[in-house]
Amino acid sequence: MIDCREAVSRMWAYLGRDLALKPIAEFEAHLETCQRCCGELEFSRHLREAVAEGEGATQMPPELRARIDILLAGADDANQGTA
Amino acid sequence: MASVVETRAAGLTGPLAQTVDGPAEQRPFADVARDHLDRLYGFCVRLMNDPSDADDLVQETLLRGMRAYDDLRDASRAKGWLFAIATNASRDLFRTRGRQVATVPFDAIDADGDEFSLFETIAIEDPFPYSDELHLDFLRLFRDDDVQAVFGSMTPVFRLPIILTVVHGFSCKEAAAILEIPLGTLLSRLHRGRKQLERGLWDYAVANGLVTTTDEDER
Repeated sequence: MIDCREAVSRMWAYLGRDLALKPIAEFEAHLETCQRCCGELEFSRHLREAVAEGEGATQMPPELRARIDILLAGADDANQGTA
Repeated sequence: MASVVETRAAGLTGPLAQTVDGPAEQRPFADVARDHLDRLYGFCVRLMNDPSDADDLVQETLLRGMRAYDDLRDASRAKGWLFAIATNASRDLFRTRGRQVATVPFDAIDADGDEFSLFETIAIEDPFPYSDELHLDFLRLFRDDDVQAVFGSMTPVFRLPIILTVVHGFSCKEAAAILEIPLGTLLSRLHRGRKQLERGLWDYAVANGLVTTTDEDER
């Protein structure tokens, strides 16, 4: 049986579906007996969502998008030329 | 066939190293690139920590991607492949501009920071005494730009694994391949990054008056 410290260290990997089967089983067995870690798991899930939303909100500036459109249009032309 | 340099420039190592001898039947590069532009830009901003440098990096990444695209066997891996190119290109840009590539010795990390628990700190400090959702109410204090500010203050080597796995949805194995580091190193940095993020969120909340701490209450 793993302790709370180990369970906490596995939490993000568990939420990211990055744990192997045995560590998952050990982690879930710990959760069945530990209300504190269930609470932290839920908190970690929301924290990751907040990070994903906050960081994922970065928008490309319109001037850069215009330059890249030109760059990619060139790639389109080259592709059609060789097709 | 692509040169070794192009293959390396494209970051095609480990799980991303799916190359073929000739071009595969696939969508045009421009279409694939357009699918990932906003995400790629966000990643480049975090790699360079400077919007103007991020502009240059995005363009350099696309130019390198264009040249190496025939090596990409599986277009479903295009996002990771572009991110790997961006990571490699960022190192070259840093070198060209005489900036230090961000690396931090492990002993430079605050030992206390590795033990910090945001979950427990919120419970102990209890910033919302009448709340039924104490921990969620804490997270609700943060707008997108607050989260970005905290991220901006983090050590880059610990921030990038979080960005790749949590924000962009890569597995730890894929993130390790993109950053060209062993999986164990990635996992260690992810854990330390998480602790730095937790500490950063709490310190930011206190510094910006989003919460009041026990110490302040007693003054």
